[in-house]
Amino acid sequence: MFQLLKMAYRNLNRNRRRSILSALAVSFGLALLLFIASIVNGEMQGAMQTTIALQSGDLQVRAASYVEEKSSLKWADLIANPDQIAAQIKSIPHVTIATPRLFASGIINTSREAIGVQLIGIDPTSPANAPIVHGMIAGSFITPDDQNGILIGQTLAQKLGVKVGDPIDLSANTANGNVNEQNFIVRGTFSTDTPSYDQSTIFMPIAKAQAFTATQNHASTIFIMLDDRDLSNSVAAALTSPGYQILTWQKMNDLVLETEQLANGYMVIIYLIVLAITATVIVNTLIMAVYERTREIGILAAIGMKGRRIMSLFLAEAGILAVAGIAVGLVLGWLICAYFARYGFYIGNIGTNYQFLLGDRIYAMLTLSDTINLTIVALIVTLIASLYPAILAARLEPVEALHGQ
Amino acid sequence: MLLYLRLAWRNIWRHRRRTVIVIIAMGLGLAMMMLYDGMIDGFQQAIYGNAIKVLGGNIRVHAAGYAEKADSLPLLPIANDQTIIQAAQSIPNVVAATRRINTGGLATNTEGAFSVTITGIEPEKEAPLSPIAQHVTSGSYLTSNDQDVVLIGRGLADLMDVQVGDKITLVGRSTHQQMRQRTMTVGGIYDIGVPTIEKQTIYISLAEAQSLYDLPNQSTEIVITLKQLGEEPPVMAALTPALHGDEIESWAQSFPDLEQAITTKNGAMEIFSVIIMLIAGIGVLNLLLMAVYERTREIGLLAAMGLKPSQIMTLFVLEGAMLGLVGVAAGFILGLILNGSLGIVGIDYSQFAGISDYMALISGRVYPTLGIENFLNRAVPVFIIAILAALYPAHEASQHEPAEALHYV
Repeated sequence: MFQLLKMAYRNLNRNRRRSILSALAVSFGLALLLFIASIVNGEMQGAMQTTIALQSGDLQVRAASYVEEKSSLKWADLIANPDQIAAQIKSIPHVTIATPRLFASGIINTSREAIGVQLIGIDPTSPANAPIVHGMIAGSFITPDDQNGILIGQTLAQKLGVKVGDPIDLSANTANGNVNEQNFIVRGTFSTDTPSYDQSTIFMPIAKAQAFTATQNHASTIFIMLDDRDLSNSVAAALTSPGYQILTWQKMNDLVLETEQLANGYMVIIYLIVLAITATVIVNTLIMAVYERTREIGILAAIGMKGRRIMSLFLAEAGILAVAGIAVGLVLGWLICAYFARYGFYIGNIGTNYQFLLGDRIYAMLTLSDTINLTIVALIVTLIASLYPAILAARLEPVEALHGQ
Repeated sequence: MLLYLRLAWRNIWRHRRRTVIVIIAMGLGLAMMMLYDGMIDGFQQAIYGNAIKVLGGNIRVHAAGYAEKADSLPLLPIANDQTIIQAAQSIPNVVAATRRINTGGLATNTEGAFSVTITGIEPEKEAPLSPIAQHVTSGSYLTSNDQDVVLIGRGLADLMDVQVGDKITLVGRSTHQQMRQRTMTVGGIYDIGVPTIEKQTIYISLAEAQSLYDLPNQSTEIVITLKQLGEEPPVMAALTPALHGDEIESWAQSFPDLEQAITTKNGAMEIFSVIIMLIAGIGVLNLLLMAVYERTREIGLLAAMGLKPSQIMTLFVLEGAMLGLVGVAAGFILGLILNGSLGIVGIDYSQFAGISDYMALISGRVYPTLGIENFLNRAVPVFIIAILAALYPAHEASQHEPAEALHYV
């Protein structure tokens, strides 16, 4: 066995250029597979992270009758005494953040147009606001007792032509079905690098939002973050109590999850094409090599090497090629992925709806399982591709092969 | 020169096996790249095709002056809609051309008033194409002789808390800016899994829209559906003579967001395809290098017979070019067969995704296009590689002493 490997290695070394090029084809193939996987994964994980951080959280507790699409403000559909409930939830193990939020649909009126926005009442001191706090562009964050200050997305501010300190005329539905209208002052603008979010979201302190929408001491939801996202189901079970609905991030983001699965299906076909091209290169190069080395094979056969052993020799050569190619491919793929993980791909605003928040940049994200799976697939495909040339070599008649040219 | 050509052609076929291997490799590589290109187009169709059908077709024609007020969906009748329809239907890539009336309005009942887009359609003509028609989950799709029947989305039905058979009131403006109001029965509810669209768009038959909005036998929009995305420009050009000043736009102009999404996706796919080219290029290079180095002895023989290095190189470059041409031709034919047959059968990629019943907007089956558009971009580099791969070893060999080259094993 060891002798076979040594022979195989020497054979490859004898034709160094050809061996390097063949291995390189495998390398590029694997690097490309890793790159594609990391981009797809990065896009989906990015969308998921963004959506969880900005929109859904890991868990949400809502009143049983609350319907998200209606963003109803009737007291019966809201959570009463949200601060107290949030405090109780906070004491449950694994919960790191629990903060009440109030959602209302609002309209910004300007002299020219009316723009629909989502109004979110937040507890300004909660760490759940971190993505917004970090994304502040101008001005300052709102304080809990601010009576007329709001934060608006940078994109929305540009669209409206307003800057920090400018007034904005905002109207919103209220709990009793009326519309309330008031002038607010832009305290700050933020960017979450998520265009669809930044152009439609307005924050104000929850106390003011409750006053504005006549929902005294009620909240739409308790926004919860966990220290381990995978525990969402068990924590949700612990939270269950009558009159409330508990939503996990998986349930709230089923659209993202489904799209992720779909994208994976799509990519399988692209993988297959890449693998087929790599296999084509390997098969043809090896077949050519077998014919080129017909005489050599004839000599091996003439001095008594059995067909099976000749086949093993060729398979060993292919195996070494594959391993070397894969090693280089892993490094290469990892480097490409590292570059795009750091700098990302600018994709701009791709029109997405509120269930699917995608940042304006995709960052490559290579997972260990993708790496392992694709490496194994590349190895298997290369070995299968070398099977036919190896059989071809083993079947040569010694006498004919000796004469062969 | 003719001698060289003849010699080169003969040399290629003297080593039949080697040539066949090279051609198979080039052909398969090119065919795979064509499949890749065709798949990308096919996926685009699978993912965005239905969205575009729902949003309003590949190409839309409106009366002059519409674009300026497009936001308010003005009721501007198209003067010669029937001739445009006929002109469109005579273009081969056009699957259907149908008339519509589009206007904004309010849908009201006791739950409140909801602003919607009211679209009058020709139900029989649109039914086979429309994802909406295929996703009516309760009740039924419209027919052209419906009386006061409306088709609404699941999202709106939930908001208004109505079922099939319930009544809602539609309020809209007629051409004369008068408010028109009519109470209609919900005949069907469609569910395409996209609440934003379901909440916004409701359908009535064209005839009803004509009577409701005072547009006898007229229409405000012509929707043209094509086989594939990307075929819009030639169809639009072919249609121009029939227009007489009417406005025409493709979905790319109507929905720049969607266009940008596709462009971005294609950008990423372009990077992938460059790497794919690289892999195939390496394969072709390697094979051809092997093929020429194998002939070092032959080159020595030619040199011994008195051919100058430049003459030897000409011969080998010609051989490389011929191989390249034959390989590219093989690739083209193979690719056409591959994409052509898959384009008819389709590939059900949803099985890889582990989901069977996906959102109505995305089709789980992909039909690759022929992938011809990009073929030159793929074939030219392969061809150049073929020549370069012949040039380098031939140059090296022709520099050898003939006697040395003759001894090369």
